[in-house]
Amino acid sequence: MADIQIIDAEKHFGANHVIRKLNLHIRHGEFVVLLGPSGCGKTTTLRALAGLESIDAGEIRIGDRRVDQLPPQERDTAFVFQLYSLYPHLTAFDNIAFPLRAGGMSEAKVREQVNGVAKVLRIEHLLKKRPSALAGGDMQRVTIGRALVRRPSAMLMDEPIGALDAKLREEMRTELRRLHVENDSTTVYVTHDQVEAMAMADKIGIMNDGVLQQYDDPDTVYDHPANLFVAQFVGSPIMNVVDCACEAAPEGVRARLSGMAEPFMLHDAALAAQLRAAPAAEGGLALGVRPEAITLQPAPAPGLLAARVNLIEPLGAYDIVDVTLGEASLRVRTASQFVRRPGEDVWVGLDAARTHLFDKRSGLSLRRND
Amino acid sequence: MAAVSLHRVSKQFGAVHAVRDLTLDIANREFFVLLGPTGAGKTTTLRCIAGLEQPQTGDILIAGERVNDWSAAQRDVALVFQQYSLYPNYTVRENLAFPLKSKLRMLSPQEIEQRVARAAATVRISHLLERRTDRLSGGEMQRVSIGRAIVREPRVFLMDEPLSNLDAKLRELLRAELKGLQQRLETTLVFVTHDQVEAMTMGDRIGVVNKGELIQVGTPHEIYNQPANTFVASFVGTPAINLLDLQVDLARSRAHNGSLAFTLEPATCERLARVLPADGAVCFGIRPENVSLVAGGGLPGAIYGAENHGAEIVAVIESGGHRLRATVPAKTPTALNQPVQISFMQDKLHFFHPQSGERLRPH
Repeated sequence: MADIQIIDAEKHFGANHVIRKLNLHIRHGEFVVLLGPSGCGKTTTLRALAGLESIDAGEIRIGDRRVDQLPPQERDTAFVFQLYSLYPHLTAFDNIAFPLRAGGMSEAKVREQVNGVAKVLRIEHLLKKRPSALAGGDMQRVTIGRALVRRPSAMLMDEPIGALDAKLREEMRTELRRLHVENDSTTVYVTHDQVEAMAMADKIGIMNDGVLQQYDDPDTVYDHPANLFVAQFVGSPIMNVVDCACEAAPEGVRARLSGMAEPFMLHDAALAAQLRAAPAAEGGLALGVRPEAITLQPAPAPGLLAARVNLIEPLGAYDIVDVTLGEASLRVRTASQFVRRPGEDVWVGLDAARTHLFDKRSGLSLRRND
Repeated sequence: MAAVSLHRVSKQFGAVHAVRDLTLDIANREFFVLLGPTGAGKTTTLRCIAGLEQPQTGDILIAGERVNDWSAAQRDVALVFQQYSLYPNYTVRENLAFPLKSKLRMLSPQEIEQRVARAAATVRISHLLERRTDRLSGGEMQRVSIGRAIVREPRVFLMDEPLSNLDAKLRELLRAELKGLQQRLETTLVFVTHDQVEAMTMGDRIGVVNKGELIQVGTPHEIYNQPANTFVASFVGTPAINLLDLQVDLARSRAHNGSLAFTLEPATCERLARVLPADGAVCFGIRPENVSLVAGGGLPGAIYGAENHGAEIVAVIESGGHRLRATVPAKTPTALNQPVQISFMQDKLHFFHPQSGERLRPH
C-alpha cells in the first residue's frame, strides 16, 4: 500500500493559475480532506490525482511510482463523483460488479467481492434494485460500493454527499468514516463544508486561490490556525476577529481594542515572545478569539472587561451572545439563558491561551510556529 | 407597525391541503418565525398574509382589521424573497427608490432621497448606491432587497427564506444583522424558513408547521426544551435528539428495550408516574448534550463514530443495538469501536407517546 505525494504541482487554465506550487504528502491509511471555497483549486487537485487533469509542472507519486504522466486507469485510484453516476439499466449488484467484470474476474469471485462490499455498506437488501428504485443516500452508497470493490490504492471523492439532505448527510459522514477505517483505505475527499472536514478528516488541507494555506489534523487547524483565512473558514460560529493595538510586556501581551479607554493584559508569555519576535506589522494586528474561548460573568472581577449585551442567539444547547466591548463586537458562547436580555451589562474574560494575534497585512498568525 | 392574526385559515390547491385550519396571533413588533420542512405550508401561509393567495376559509387580520378582501398593495406589507427580485440594469439607488415613485405615494424627490439614504444606511449599502445591481455579490443583493422593503416603511415585513441562497458564513452574519435591524426598526416581521438554526437564533417566537398544520408555537427556549411531539423534538436541535422506545417498569425503577436497560432515578419515576400510559411503553427523548461518557456505572456501549466540531465532539455510541449521539468535550478520546459507558441527565428526559409521538402530559 502506498503514500501519495504531490510535489511542486502547478496548474493553469489559460490565465487562471488554479494550483500554485502545491506540496501534499498523504500517508497510507489517512483520510485527507481538501477544504476551501469554490474556485480554490481543491477539485482540480483531486482530478489531477485521478488523472482527469494534467498538471503543468511538478510531480504526482503513488507509492514509488511517478503517475502524473499515466492515464487514469493505470493509477489505481477510484473516483466517486458528486452526482450519482450509476448505469440506470443495471441492478445495484451489476453496477458494483461492473468494474470487476470489466477486468475479467470470474463470476464466483465477483459475487464474493460484491457481497463483501455490500455488507460493509449495509446495502445487501438493495442489490436487486435498479437505481431508479433507490433513495438518494442508497444510490450514493451503491456508487461508493462500485468504487470500493476494486480495492484501489486511493479513494478520491468530490463532494460525494453534498446533494443529500442534512440528516442523511450526517449519517453518511459517520458511515464513510467507518468504511475508510474498516477497509484500511486511503481517502482524499473534497468539500467546501468545514463541518464535514472537521468531522471526517485525519488531516485537512485548506486551500484558497490555488494555494495550500495549512495542512494539519483537525484539532491543530481549529486551535492553531496558520492565518486569518483558515481561522475564519473553519469553525461555526465564526472566530471573532477585531482590530487590536498590542505591546509585549513581561507577563504577557498588553492589548487594546478600538474604543477601549484602558488596555488589558493577555497573560500568555508565549504570545508575548512571539509578538516580540515578529517584525513590526505595518498594517497592524488583529486579535482572534473563538466564541467558546470567551467567558461572560454577571459581575465585575479582576481581569474582566465591562461590555454590553447587544443580541442573544439561542441555539438550544447553548446561546451565542453578541456583546459590545469598546467599539468592537464579539460573539460569546454561553450556557442557555445565561444572559436574559439585550442591553444588560456583562463582564468579559478572554482565555489568553486561546487568543490569537494576526498580522493584518499578511494574515499570518503570530502563533503559527507554536 | 401592526399585529397580524390568522383565524381558522385553510388553503387548498386542488386536492392538496396546503394550510389546515390555522390560527395564530403575531404581536406587534414581534419577530415571528414559521419553521417547517419543504411543503409544510409555511410559504402559503405567508402568501396569504401578503395577499398573494386567497384562503378558502378563515380570516386574516392586520392591526385588527380583516384584510381578506384587500389587495396586496392595500395591506401595506413588504415581502422579501429568497431570489433577489431586483432590476438588474438599474443602480442600487434606483432599485431602492422604485417603490417610492408610485403615484399613489406622492412623495417629493427630496423625501425619496432621504428615505433611500436612511434605508441604505440601515442595511449598510450606502457605499453601493451608484452600483448596478448585477455587479453585486449575493449578500449585497439580499441587503438591497431588504433595503427596498424597508424604504417603504410597511406595517409588516414578510420574508421567505431570504438567507437560503447565501453561503454559511454570510448567513451567520446576516442572521444577526437582520435580528438587530428588526429590533432597531421595532417592526413586525414574519420570517419563513426550513432552517431550525435561523428560527432559534432570530425568532422571538417560533411556529412549527408540518403538513399544513401548526404543531407548536413558543419561544425558542420552549420549543427546544418542551417540544410538543417527536416531530418538533427531532426537527429542532443539531445534532438531533435521541429517541428510544422503551418499556417502563416503575415497580423496579427500570426502563429497558432488549439489551439496553437502565435504572430510573426516583425523581424520574415520579415524573413518569404522572404520565405513564397503561401499557408502560414510552418513547424517551434525550438531547445529545444531556448524554455523557462516564468512567463507571453507565450503560455499556462502543464508539460507532465521532465527529470533531472543534468546540466539542459529537460521538455516536452503539449500545444494546441502539445508536445514541452524545456531545462530549473537545479532545475526548473517541477511537472507533472503543468501549465506553454512557449516562443520561435524567431531569432532561422527554417522554413521548410511542405511537402518536405526542408529548406525554399528566393524566
